[in-house]
Amino acid sequence: MLWKDNYELGVPHIDEQHKELFRRVESFLKVLRSKDCWYEKIAKINETLEFMKRYVVEHFRDEEEYQRSINYPGYEAHKQIHNDMVKYVIEVSKQYEQSNNNEQLMQEFGGRLLAWLINHVAAEDQRIADYAIKKGMSGNER
Amino acid sequence: MKDKLYKAFVDATQNVFKLMLNVSEISAHPTENFNCEDEIDIAIGIVGDLHGEVIFRFPVETSLNMVNIMSGMQFETVDAFVTSAISEIANIISGNVLTAISENNMKCDILPPVQCKLDKDKKNETETSCCISTTIGEICLEIRMNRAS
Repeated sequence: MLWKDNYELGVPHIDEQHKELFRRVESFLKVLRSKDCWYEKIAKINETLEFMKRYVVEHFRDEEEYQRSINYPGYEAHKQIHNDMVKYVIEVSKQYEQSNNNEQLMQEFGGRLLAWLINHVAAEDQRIADYAIKKGMSGNER
Repeated sequence: MKDKLYKAFVDATQNVFKLMLNVSEISAHPTENFNCEDEIDIAIGIVGDLHGEVIFRFPVETSLNMVNIMSGMQFETVDAFVTSAISEIANIISGNVLTAISENNMKCDILPPVQCKLDKDKKNETETSCCISTTIGEICLEIRMNRAS
């Protein structure tokens, strides 16, 4: 399982969204890493990729909204990290389309996405949670 | 400078292994005993007040252990997915080091990770290396810096 309990931040609203995000990424990685022949799984890859891309953008937007609602001081820097990731996802998707579904490109994307997501949740997002808990705003106050 | 960089890289590696891999038993020691023929070398270029590169030498076994922990899946061989995942970890560790040294008014930036072959003959102003041992294997860091002219 991709999600691990030690990624929990202690802010129920963010933790729920992260669990959902990890579920989406996990289902993408399962298809990506399945033993089936690449050409047989392209349709499923493309479908889960699109689904996951939409959810990443949606989650980032919700998380930024939450940061604004608690006046998180690192909002701008955190938003920039989100923007850079969205830009990377869009660029890779474009290259993937232009390459006619190149497998290596998608494997590279999967590896980077995995490490990026874990670091982002375990390290970057922890700062939001620390701030929220310190200010007594870690409940479902949105 | 050499000692500061060394410590910054060891600390950042320790933090990243703890946060991302839940591995907290880590020790740093000289690289003389690091003998690995089957490794993935990832270079991170550094530009700004310091100029140079850090080469992360990940033995294959360590690399696979790292990706297995992160993914919860079983990877048996190194492929584009594994190389990309450990490149991102090298990127994250280096980014954290730059944040730490920026507190000493040192402004630097990192370049995207690139898989490379270790060039042992290259000479630099500041060279240091360390081997980091963990419960999931070792990694070796070659730090090569020059002050920007």
